[in-house]
Amino acid sequence: MIYSVRHETRYEYEDPVSVSHHILRISPRDTPSQTCRFRRISVSPRPPRFETHTDYFGNTVTLFTLAEPHASLTVEATSEIEVIAQPEPDFASSMPWERVRDALARASSEDAVDAAQFVFDSKRVRARRNLAEYARESFAHGRPLLDSAFDLTRRIFQDFRFDSKATEVSTPVETFFEKRRGVCQDFAHLQIACLRSIGLAARYVSGYLRTIPPPGRPRLAGADASHAWVSVWCPRTAWVDFDPTNNCVPGDGHITAAWGRDYNDVSPVYGVLQGGARHNLHVGVDVIPEQ
Amino acid sequence: MNISLKTADSLLDAEYSPAPGLYDEMCEAPGHFRPHWEPYASALADLGRNEFSRRWQTAQQYIRENGVTYNVYGDPRGIDRPWSLDAIPLLISAREWQRIEEGLIQRARLLNLILADLYGEQTLLRSGYLPPALIYANPAFWRPCHGLRVPGDRYLSLMAVDLARSPDGQWWVLSDRTQAPSGAGYALENRTVFADTFPDFFRELRVRRLAGFFRDLRDDLLSLGQLGKTQFNQTKPMAVLLTPGPYNETYFEHSYLARYLGFTLVQGGDLTVRDSKVFLKTLEGLKQVHVILRRVDDGFCDPIELRSESFLGVAGLVEAVRAGNVAVANALGSGVVESPGFMPFLPGLSMRLLGETLELPSVATWWCGQPAAGDYVRNNLDFLVIKPSFPGLGMEPVFGGHTSGEERRSLLDRMQDRPWNFTGQEVVNLSTAPVWSQDSLESRRVVLRAYVARSGDSWVVMPGGLARVSPSLDSPVVSMQRGGGSKDAWVLSDGPVDEFSLVRPRHEPVAIVRGAAQALPSRAADDLYWLGRYAERSENLARILRSILVRLTAEGGPANHAMWNALVETHAALESEDSRLGEDDRQQHLDFTLDFEQEILSLIFEEQRRDSLNSNMNRAWRTAASVRDRLSNDLLRVVSQFSSLARVDNDVAWGYVPPPDALIVLNRCLASLASVRGIEMENITRGAGWHFLGTGRRIERSLQLTGLFRALLLPVRPETWPVLDILLEICDSAMTYRSRYLTALQPAPVLDLLMNDETNPRSLRFQVLDLLSHCRALARMLHAAEWPLARQTQLEKAALRLFNFDPRFFHKAYDSPERREFDNLLATLESTLAVFSDAITHTWFSHAEVEQRA
Repeated sequence: MIYSVRHETRYEYEDPVSVSHHILRISPRDTPSQTCRFRRISVSPRPPRFETHTDYFGNTVTLFTLAEPHASLTVEATSEIEVIAQPEPDFASSMPWERVRDALARASSEDAVDAAQFVFDSKRVRARRNLAEYARESFAHGRPLLDSAFDLTRRIFQDFRFDSKATEVSTPVETFFEKRRGVCQDFAHLQIACLRSIGLAARYVSGYLRTIPPPGRPRLAGADASHAWVSVWCPRTAWVDFDPTNNCVPGDGHITAAWGRDYNDVSPVYGVLQGGARHNLHVGVDVIPEQ
Repeated sequence: MNISLKTADSLLDAEYSPAPGLYDEMCEAPGHFRPHWEPYASALADLGRNEFSRRWQTAQQYIRENGVTYNVYGDPRGIDRPWSLDAIPLLISAREWQRIEEGLIQRARLLNLILADLYGEQTLLRSGYLPPALIYANPAFWRPCHGLRVPGDRYLSLMAVDLARSPDGQWWVLSDRTQAPSGAGYALENRTVFADTFPDFFRELRVRRLAGFFRDLRDDLLSLGQLGKTQFNQTKPMAVLLTPGPYNETYFEHSYLARYLGFTLVQGGDLTVRDSKVFLKTLEGLKQVHVILRRVDDGFCDPIELRSESFLGVAGLVEAVRAGNVAVANALGSGVVESPGFMPFLPGLSMRLLGETLELPSVATWWCGQPAAGDYVRNNLDFLVIKPSFPGLGMEPVFGGHTSGEERRSLLDRMQDRPWNFTGQEVVNLSTAPVWSQDSLESRRVVLRAYVARSGDSWVVMPGGLARVSPSLDSPVVSMQRGGGSKDAWVLSDGPVDEFSLVRPRHEPVAIVRGAAQALPSRAADDLYWLGRYAERSENLARILRSILVRLTAEGGPANHAMWNALVETHAALESEDSRLGEDDRQQHLDFTLDFEQEILSLIFEEQRRDSLNSNMNRAWRTAASVRDRLSNDLLRVVSQFSSLARVDNDVAWGYVPPPDALIVLNRCLASLASVRGIEMENITRGAGWHFLGTGRRIERSLQLTGLFRALLLPVRPETWPVLDILLEICDSAMTYRSRYLTALQPAPVLDLLMNDETNPRSLRFQVLDLLSHCRALARMLHAAEWPLARQTQLEKAALRLFNFDPRFFHKAYDSPERREFDNLLATLESTLAVFSDAITHTWFSHAEVEQRA
């Protein structure tokens, strides 16, 4: 599938902002299953220059500074991406999850060393005993890793409700786990926390879903904004994605933007401002399949 | 050899008995000095106890007066606590120091190589020499710093190592400080105190000097700026010392070091990033910064790429480093190797990276991330101190043996779940050293913080360091935060002391610089402006309070009803929102006299009262403290008294201060404020900073004068006639008045003297004229186009109309239209002054806006 993606973020400030610095992670990266054919970022008012580099996780990061007073800011990222769904690995024949856990702890291969960074606590996701207990119901002794991970995805989908009003960007996993309502970010953080609590490597993936589903298929939750799901490390197969908000294994309908340990590593637009007082935020995402 | 110093006059005659079973730095056995202490002991004996005491008292006076402080978090007495320095230095022999020195340099080389690998190729990680958990579970490993451009791989420009000695005499490393080590400035200050107090000792005992170390450090930091890709047009790169600000525990040394190294002291808000370059916001515009010596921790340096919640850093700093436009020392991210979890790996890494055995061993350490080490720690909990492996885990080191019950179970649980977060360390039975306490010697535990600096391609060690002692012999922890003290560390030399560094010849002739030597950061200008205003406000308040208190407590109390009313009016002129006097008790009776007295005492002393003299003097001191690097030592010495002059030791007791004592306090405050003004006039170059200080003073005094005129002079009635006398006294113009008009007190001539007489430095006209001359100077120095000229013109006009007003209206009826007109003119001037002050603030200090995140 080839998609054209448009991600617009617009801030309107109560008072003019005199100086602002922003960091963007909205240029979709290349992955084994997707190739970005074209990407562009435009910002209004127009900054004198952009600085772009690749971060530790391989995401494209763009920085800019506006030193002239501005009352609003619009960031628009457009891209064209080809997604080729990879054949789904055979979950049942994946390695028993304990062996994966031990491989991560030993970290004897370069792959495992790199994956190991997604085992430990990060700013937004911390291991907890109660989350390990919750995860264990899916991770029976000797059960194949991917089988267990998909089962955990299904249970989270069943036990938790999508509710765009229940949480905020800063809501901790623990609160979501108690209230059982939230958005894709909360679903993803919870599944990552569960996996890390039992010693597995899991990362946070930010991206997009197609806005209008293919005929005869339901519209997925999170399609009108940027979406988030998780990826689990499995030796030999490498990373396998799961979407706990929609109880599915992402195929050619999911477009990856960036990944990291949690939301903080991949937040699409973040800024430090002088002035501005309060602001209104509008985010719009369009993902259109091209014929 | 046993040198007994039990002569009657000797310092050490109170027998010093080191605790048994411990290594004592001075004595091998009771009464037996270690050989390298003998010359010191005999020098002390020659000096004599009385002279020693006398000199030490002077030294402590110096520490107080120079405002040498260490901020203790959560200290209710305010943030500045006088620096605690012991009178007996810690002596280290030349032979022993040589071994330490070699070990320290090796360690710095090693840690620098580890950092270069972790933030570069990561061979150690990929080939299993370092376990992933030690790096990836450590929040001090900052991914955005990976691959950053570090000129010449110089990750460490200055590092510190805490050393301790065990009973067998062996030195051990307790911890490494690699991101922004503190204490080097205090070590230098300690040395300054000792060099002033015991100059003869340094010559006789051949104590090695510290100055050369700091010069090497400075030269090396400046050369960092040239290693990057930045090209300099100037002869000298611009270097700044980045401080978290005056509330940081070691702020004193930030300003001290900045001044000593010749770097501009800045806070995050003073810097800004444009085009991936760092600039200092100065009054003359943006000035590019090439080198940043930072005292801000890694994560707080940049809210864009590091900790987003930080308000101490500079947004975009990481990108500026990435672009190679600025050098940060130590390199961003270098805190990662401070983790005690690295210690067990250092001997192996030393072999691998340097091909050398590690010379200076770390104290025995087990990082629980390794299963066998974790088991050992759990099984030997009682004998180990358990430390968090990484910062931000919200735990303090605990002695395993001191834990029990729930606390112990919880600790063991957490060690089971996340073993890599814990590190067990052997408890070193620290050596002891004598401290001078109330005229006798006592034994205390001691730890030495030593410093290594990069110098070109090699390293230099500070010959000395910051020795710290425990608050008591039993205390196993040595920490300035927990009330320990410090010592100067003397490294002795076998040969002649190398004085080369102190009189180092300059290679190039120094260029002549006129005017302000350094760019003035806008924030510093802001602080100087407010220093002027608070100092002036304090003086006016002290004068008003003194004039009331003198009359209130005169023998027999206020002589008559008119005097009473005058005092009440004078107090009302303060318009205090926190007044303790009710509206209804303004009558002449005994209770009211007492209430009034209490009110005046409260206005002098009460710390919680925003408009008290104490509060205002403190504000002046705080403001001065945050620009202390720009004030002379003499000025600082005086200003540092501000915080304590109007303070009673126990705040609750201010109501019991006898009025005569309160008068003494007021007079001292006034004397102190006057000497600041004197230093300002005679000892400060006429740069923009001085003009901002003057602008602040003149605006404040103008406002005070118009306020006094409106409150006291304008409504003067026969019942309040004595107010004229009080007013003259407040304005320090009584003498002049009497010499001109003898004793006839009348409002019109009083007004003329206080308002129109431009020869009177206390008159309003004088204030306005001087204010305008400061403004002209500033407009010339700065961007004239940005000067708020329209506001200034408004002010001039308002002043002119006031000065042209005929003061003889006082002869007319009390409610004559002229009085009202005059009141209007005063009010207009007041408001134009306020508007002008705002305009200055907006034009020059507007960066003070608080940053926010979205």
